[in-house]
Amino acid sequence: MLIFRYSARELLRHPVRSLLAVLGVAVACAMLLDMLMLGGGLNASFRSLLTSAGYELRVSPAGTLPFDTGATIADAGRVQRSLEADTAVAGVAPVLGSNLLVEGGEAERLFVLGVTPAEQGIYRLITGRDPDAGSIVIGRELAREGLAIGDTLALRAPGSFADAGRRTVRYRVAGIADFLYASSGERSAALDLPALAELTDQPDRASLMMVRLAEGEDPEGVAASLRALHPDLEIASVGQLVETAARRLSYFRQLAAILGTVSLIVTTLLIGTIMAISINDRYGTIAALRAIGISRRSIVAAFLVESLLLCVAAAALGLGLGLLVAGQLERILSDFPGLPEAIRFFVFEPDRLAWAAAGVLLAGVGAALVPAIRAMNAPIAATLHREEP
Amino acid sequence: MTGRAGTGPGTNDRLLVEARDVRREYRLKGDLIEAVRGISLEVRGGDFLAIVGPSGSGKSTLLHLLGAVDSPTSGTVFLDGSDVTAMSDPERARFRLEHVGLVFQRFHLLPMLTALENVELPMAEAGLGRRERERRAKDLLGRVGLGDRMRHRPGEISGGQRQRVAVARALANRPALLLADEPTGELDQKTSAEMLQLFTSLNKDGTAIVVATHDLELAAGAQRRLTLVDGKIHE
Repeated sequence: MLIFRYSARELLRHPVRSLLAVLGVAVACAMLLDMLMLGGGLNASFRSLLTSAGYELRVSPAGTLPFDTGATIADAGRVQRSLEADTAVAGVAPVLGSNLLVEGGEAERLFVLGVTPAEQGIYRLITGRDPDAGSIVIGRELAREGLAIGDTLALRAPGSFADAGRRTVRYRVAGIADFLYASSGERSAALDLPALAELTDQPDRASLMMVRLAEGEDPEGVAASLRALHPDLEIASVGQLVETAARRLSYFRQLAAILGTVSLIVTTLLIGTIMAISINDRYGTIAALRAIGISRRSIVAAFLVESLLLCVAAAALGLGLGLLVAGQLERILSDFPGLPEAIRFFVFEPDRLAWAAAGVLLAGVGAALVPAIRAMNAPIAATLHREEP
Repeated sequence: MTGRAGTGPGTNDRLLVEARDVRREYRLKGDLIEAVRGISLEVRGGDFLAIVGPSGSGKSTLLHLLGAVDSPTSGTVFLDGSDVTAMSDPERARFRLEHVGLVFQRFHLLPMLTALENVELPMAEAGLGRRERERRAKDLLGRVGLGDRMRHRPGEISGGQRQRVAVARALANRPALLLADEPTGELDQKTSAEMLQLFTSLNKDGTAIVVATHDLELAAGAQRRLTLVDGKIHE
């Protein structure tokens, strides 16, 4: 323990040097943590979002992802019945999405989803009730703008100049809800599906169908069997959608891997340099300690403890800094256009914290090994000859 | 060349060091340097031997060979009956820890440890418990006249006091042999004289001492002097 006390005090002998090393490694540690959170966070967050409403499969028009394009599923009623006929399927929630114009003042666009209130995974009511033929459920953004339950919202479908005479329909606000897939600041609302289909002149169509499976069913297996029945549709499990999204967003993972590696290299170089300088200053003392019988193992252990103490201090600071920076970056990235607000780029999980800390500690200790072993291999007598006048 | 250190009053006659035809050569920038050339030497318990000679005569090298700090190119060194030249590096380190005390010209104390902790260090390495270490370290520091400087760090005491701490550290594991390489090299005349007194006192208490020195007064205080010239004992 005495040799470890020596290690701790040796760091205090050069407070500025030690502080700079700690700060440098802390920044690298913060970056490593952020990259670990970014690397897996987006996927985990996307999966969590897709499964949050309890629907394991998504059915969309062939060649598209849900709401990727304006394409719709034709003959939606028949498709829904066909899907429901499968014993593995517990429920089907058709969704029709459309941009509508809000009447009054300047016409503003509003993204409206047509749902069947009894079976839907699009929104969660905060207050009020589900929509019916004459009412609408609005999102928080519209509520923030001043709309309240009981108010009226006049909507019409956008169209070409020739369609300018399309009718306007007034809906009473029945409820306020969180829209699970809405992006930050997006104005969303939900109508009863037949009402929206009539307003937008899209009878018997759906943009998407969300399929809830019976308990214990394998989503990939059911998706495959339904795909065989409906080759004209895109049927994907949440896992497959997450994989597709992961492929599309692979540059985030690559970026995270590169920057994470850079942070480990920076840690190694910083600790390696600091320890090399520190050990080189003490070659004479090291030789003397070995001469009086202090074992190589004890001396190497002392240096490793020095490095470890630097890294522990840096990791404690760096992990806090990393969480702070991740929060700031999350705020910036959450405004990414078109991305659901519920998606998180930086997902905190305790194991990522542990991995970041372990990465920095291992890199630091590994970096100290090289100069420590070099010093241990220096011949004692020759070093003492050199050091003594 | 053979040297035999004399025995002092009240000392034992145990053979502590036996060097037989020891040679040490090394290469420096391509040149072969013969630092020690065939020296045979005996040191017995209670001896106080001064190795003198001009710079580069091989004093420090011989001292390192006698203390198992360095290995001879040829020849053998027996320390307390054990052939240290046949030992592995870790074995020699352990042997030095338990059987040899070393004092250096530049003290080589750990600056961030107190005098007490510096003295405790070799005992900690030898596996002694904290209480026993502290008791012995306090006793040793008291013996070298630093009972009131135990909690001071090396930077807070004088050069002479640092060397006394180094002597106390060298005695930590109760070695029978104390080797000192230019122990007064960094000290003034008065402090050097005090160091000689300390060595004489330790020697009287039964510790064999071998000192490599330029200091004629220190050498004169030893029971026997051995002069080295060009790596050989000069009769």
